[in-house]
Amino acid sequence: MKHSSVLPVAWVTLRAVIALNWLFGAAILTLLMATFIAEQWTFTALGVAPSSETHPMIIGMRAIVVLGLVAIPLNYAVLRRLLAIVETVRGGDPFVAANAYRLQVIAWALLALQLLSLVIGGIGKVISTPAIPLHLDAGFSTSGWLAVLLTFVLARVFAAGTLIREDLEGTV
Amino acid sequence: MAIVVKLDDLLHEHRMTLTELAKQIDITLANLSILKTGKARAIRFSTLEAICDVLGCQPGDLLEFHSDSRADKRSRAA
Repeated sequence: MKHSSVLPVAWVTLRAVIALNWLFGAAILTLLMATFIAEQWTFTALGVAPSSETHPMIIGMRAIVVLGLVAIPLNYAVLRRLLAIVETVRGGDPFVAANAYRLQVIAWALLALQLLSLVIGGIGKVISTPAIPLHLDAGFSTSGWLAVLLTFVLARVFAAGTLIREDLEGTV
Repeated sequence: MAIVVKLDDLLHEHRMTLTELAKQIDITLANLSILKTGKARAIRFSTLEAICDVLGCQPGDLLEFHSDSRADKRSRAA
């Protein structure tokens, strides 16, 4: 099999994105802790000075930060398995049952991430006010849901392909 | 397995080794060994034709169906 230069690039990129994901996780965790340890300072810096009026917004923002933390292990589940798939492609044997299973787990994780994005977007809309508008890159995404569907289909294709290959290997 | 490959018997009848047959029908010894030991999932018509041609036999001489395996499966399912 001819080795493509895309695979080493994908491998390095995925490694970097995995590291970045943990860094983002640490940053979100730090932010969450800061909202409790130095509430006044943190929320003022975020443009929402704590008061009885902004209290619901502060609770909503904390909820968004917590949901952001939940996204970190989900991202990791996707990236780690994608990396494992790339490694099997580099090894020259990608049509294995493990990859079909990995793709299925990726599809479920992507589904969870899309649901998380919907919830975050919903909270953002509820707590956003004309005085303090909240602009979040979250909510319904056509391409995101298409990716979920595509990954589920691809997992089935891989599972069927693996069975066909096993049959072919046992053909004399 | 319900289908039994009788390659061993045929080779014995023709006083031929698996290696000799493999050479004559141009199939690797490893693949032919898989067929002989009943580990193959499928057999190509071309392989069947080549074996029958060299051993002068019919496909039915090479393969045998054992219905007791089906009965075993049924009793296991029950």
